[in-house]
Amino acid sequence: MNVQKYIESGKLELFLLGELTEREREEVIAMAKTHPEIQQELEVLEEAMFAFDNLTGKAPSPQVKDAIFTSLEGDFHREENSPQTEKRGGEAKVVKLSPWRPFAIAASLVALMAIATAVYYAGKFYEVDEKFSALLLDQQVMADNLNQVKMQFEEADSKLDRLVAGDFRRVEMSGEALPMQKDAKVDVFWDQSAQEVFVAVNNLNSLGDEYDYQLWAIGKDGPIGIGLVNAEEKLTWQQMQAVAEAGAFAITIEPKGGSESPTLDKLVVLGEIA
Amino acid sequence: MQEEEIIAGLRARDREATEYLYEKYSRALFAVISRIISDQTIAEEVFHDSFVKITRKIDQYDETKGRLYTWMANICRNAAIDKLRSKEISQTSKTNTIDDFVFGIESQSGTMEQVEGIGVRELVNQLNADQKFIIEYIYFKGYTHSEISEEFDIPLGTVKSRIRAALQVLKKNSERI
Repeated sequence: MNVQKYIESGKLELFLLGELTEREREEVIAMAKTHPEIQQELEVLEEAMFAFDNLTGKAPSPQVKDAIFTSLEGDFHREENSPQTEKRGGEAKVVKLSPWRPFAIAASLVALMAIATAVYYAGKFYEVDEKFSALLLDQQVMADNLNQVKMQFEEADSKLDRLVAGDFRRVEMSGEALPMQKDAKVDVFWDQSAQEVFVAVNNLNSLGDEYDYQLWAIGKDGPIGIGLVNAEEKLTWQQMQAVAEAGAFAITIEPKGGSESPTLDKLVVLGEIA
Repeated sequence: MQEEEIIAGLRARDREATEYLYEKYSRALFAVISRIISDQTIAEEVFHDSFVKITRKIDQYDETKGRLYTWMANICRNAAIDKLRSKEISQTSKTNTIDDFVFGIESQSGTMEQVEGIGVRELVNQLNADQKFIIEYIYFKGYTHSEISEEFDIPLGTVKSRIRAALQVLKKNSERI
């Protein structure tokens, strides 16, 4: 190692400025020990830094000095009184026990650390356990949802199969010409050969608990009730009872559960088969 | 009092040694802080805390790892930089420049220094532009050498050699200070 080069590297200055890492500091200290030139350079540089600081500085105000020595007052007193008495009184008795003390202290420290660690990890464990339970619950809910969706899908799929396979005629029923609900609109899909009827609610007002919408197929023998229509299930297919013969479909409001024959003054929608 | 005596005295929590330490070093250590923190009140607060810390942590000072002044100056410098970067001061701090500082010193401290040795201005004037820049950022703005390198895009090696060159100028003049 070229000592002169080392001195000129700028490392000693950074050492004095406190900007070196611990490893680099160790290196400078070791170098200074083996090379007196480096030690001397360090001392001269420190002297220069001190001189520069001293020159550029003005003294802090006397109040600061007072405050500092007030802060330190307790430190000075403690030194003067307590340690001496402690030394004198304690010595004889402590000697016998002293070999045990470091072990006892070390052991209690280790125990304390172990306890702290255990408590810490127990806390962590419960935290994680709670999170895990929450996740399990979430997963269960999601599985249930998935099942439900699957069932709904299968139902829709089978409806779609029938729709694609069947020969459905669409009968639009509207409330436009009627006094009850001007904007009511419900479609009937009727496969006459398979005698299947579905309704799809486009718009129907909600009813109270005491009433139901009832679908009627009006044929040669007069109106036949073929099922209750759920006004809340909009734009999906609701299957009704089979009908082979009809000239028109209509929906009336009936008491809960439906009636034998329609209450005509509560006719909501009507659609004739073209 | 020799450095070893001061240290021994401090370790014994001796009031006299502490007083001596204060008389000998307070000016330089306060300079380290007030170069970085321009607000006098805050600088004195940092100085108070640093000096108390120095006397209380004297047992942690290791003579084999550097001399006393370096250790103390680093405590003060770090405390000042910490304070400077803390929120409470960053809004009010003005940008320190070496020229502001020199002007302030000259107007405050009168002519004593100039009689005893060379003046601050004369000393600063011995630095070339690069060295002045380095001294300004390291001493007055509390930058580390790697921060200077990063911020001004100067290679780390160049920063180091400029620090060295600047301190060589101070060293050359230190007998005259």
